[in-house]
Amino acid sequence: MSTHPPEAQTGGVDTAAGRPIGEIIFAAGVLSLGIVGFVAGAGIKMPPSATGIGPREFPFIVSGLLIFLGTAIIIQLLRGRRGAPEEGEDVDPNAKTDWLTVAKLVGFVALHILLIVPAGWPVAAAVLFFGASWTLGSLSWWRNAVIAVVMALVLQFVFAGLLGVSLPAGFLLEGVEIFNG
Amino acid sequence: MDNFMALMEGFSVAMQPMYLLFALGGVLVGTAVGVLPGIGPAMAIALLMPITYSLDPTAAIIVFAGIYYGGMYGGSTTSILLNTPGESASVVTALEGNKMAKAGRGAAALATAALGSFVAGTIATVLLTFLAPMLAEFAVRIGPVEYVALMVVAFLTVGALLGASVLRGLASLCIGLFLALVGVDALTAQQRYTFGNPFLTDGIDVVLVAVALFAMGEALYIASRMRHGSVDVIPVSGNWRKWMKREDWRRSWKPWLRGTFIGFPIGTIPAGGADVATFVSYAAERKLAKGEDKAQFGKGAIEGVAGPESANNAAAAGVLVPLLTLGIPTTATAAIMLVAFQRYQIQPGPLLFEVEGALVWALIASLYVGNLMLLVLNLPLVGLWVKILQIPRPYLYAGILVFAALGAFSVNFTPVDVWILLIIGILGFFMRRYGYPIAPLVVGLILGPIFEDQLRRSMAISQGDPTALITSPIAAVIYATLALIFALSFWMKKRQKAMESSMAEDSVTSGGGDQARA
Repeated sequence: MSTHPPEAQTGGVDTAAGRPIGEIIFAAGVLSLGIVGFVAGAGIKMPPSATGIGPREFPFIVSGLLIFLGTAIIIQLLRGRRGAPEEGEDVDPNAKTDWLTVAKLVGFVALHILLIVPAGWPVAAAVLFFGASWTLGSLSWWRNAVIAVVMALVLQFVFAGLLGVSLPAGFLLEGVEIFNG
Repeated sequence: MDNFMALMEGFSVAMQPMYLLFALGGVLVGTAVGVLPGIGPAMAIALLMPITYSLDPTAAIIVFAGIYYGGMYGGSTTSILLNTPGESASVVTALEGNKMAKAGRGAAALATAALGSFVAGTIATVLLTFLAPMLAEFAVRIGPVEYVALMVVAFLTVGALLGASVLRGLASLCIGLFLALVGVDALTAQQRYTFGNPFLTDGIDVVLVAVALFAMGEALYIASRMRHGSVDVIPVSGNWRKWMKREDWRRSWKPWLRGTFIGFPIGTIPAGGADVATFVSYAAERKLAKGEDKAQFGKGAIEGVAGPESANNAAAAGVLVPLLTLGIPTTATAAIMLVAFQRYQIQPGPLLFEVEGALVWALIASLYVGNLMLLVLNLPLVGLWVKILQIPRPYLYAGILVFAALGAFSVNFTPVDVWILLIIGILGFFMRRYGYPIAPLVVGLILGPIFEDQLRRSMAISQGDPTALITSPIAAVIYATLALIFALSFWMKKRQKAMESSMAEDSVTSGGGDQARA
């Protein structure tokens, strides 16, 4: 760990070997956003105004820039110059991307969204917290569950009960006054 | 003298017990989020925006200002005390501060950081008090052409200078500009990029995007590469009144002042934010140190904490100058502050001091108050901040996800918004993963509509002649300054890279994997 990351010398662009498929796909996404911008932009109606520029020019400028930048980044990637992933205190610079964890978290957020209306916000929030803390490696499930339930109830009390934010309390807490704004 | 009277009136508002309480809440939250890795002031303000909607504007702005200043204080505690081997030199304070803590001088490092932040924050707020109204008076007279020039400067510096890769920064900016186009064109009422979808007709909510990118995207990204195991915090002991020895005072006071006067100007011009200021201050201190003190650099020199920390806080105050007087944010946090203002129908810009005088001066007064609160809070309460730093990471990031979902749901009280949060959050994850900076996207999204409006006005005035955009004398000066800023900051970045790599070599030759922090 005593060597500095290579991006220090190459202007923030890593020169690791291997073909960066994911990065190329993302840059291609930038490029295709620009193409969509042009295609859909052509459909913007131009009112017959006399002077200056209408509603279509600025979208075309932005779309053109997106196409240029997307292409330039793809060329850079094919030449082997890759982006430097963001760093942070809790990021392990040696860890490989753990796609399973990301997928699980996305799944729990999706479950949370599906639960908000039928089960109420506190239930949905507790499920999200419980699932996310378990996914992230907190294995004591009963402690996770206690913290999840307490936190959901406190948030519901503070935001719905005290501050009047209209969070649906759900059928379990329907009649409890302090949880309803 | 007018301004002085106005400031006094601002104090009379900010000193009301209610608002003092809000300021205290703001600085407490700000320090906490500054201490916690993974949460910054930008994310905290974005998360709190939907749920503080019921507050009156003055209270909300005071809370956000407290978070803004508090976040700057909290960050130093983390970089000094958190032992994360292998992280690069992205935070200059960590260079010397972490070494000092390992050598048992963590208390002195924390104290000089807090006192330096206070000195710098106070002096910089005084400078802000005098400079901002003057600049506002000048700004009232500039027209759309000059505005376009100023915004081009903001776009290019934020897009090209904030991240490591110029192309990726500009791509991020353009994605933001594109998202800003979705909805109904303000001038001609034509639908753009709505694809007939009624949800898109209203445009994409800035708060939602900010929460998604800063909170959801960040949590997903950190989860994908999380540092597992216990959180390793270097202990600090002793009575906080004895943390700074006479020797430490002697070596700290000049770096505090130098850091202030380096940081404030760099903050006011859009030159890449506080990072540049801390680096310049660090380089200056290293150069100016003599004899024994100089030998300590790289092993825990107190000047290397005092200077950059002061520069950081002074730059944070400097950033408020273009934000308040021109309505132009130059950092991610400033961009979110601008959104917060807009939520309360307050438009930062040349007219702000005239239209919302009472509120602005209350805000500036609360900055003085907040600074003092932060000094009082930071030294005695360091034990509390250390506890916060030790929150188990699974709970921390699970909590961030819950708050992000809460914030998104509170925008319109419909689950659809939480789906949008998730989708844009995944976009934010991939942007971080592939090295695209987030801040330019947010700045583009916020400034995009204003920029297009001013651009079209300029073109209407010039009868469609694009050369009018550069022939106005003021605009020409602005573009020339832009070229200068670019030349200067590329030169500084080069110096920074050279210094970082030379320090990396130093730590290799001085041996020991533990010192990789350089």
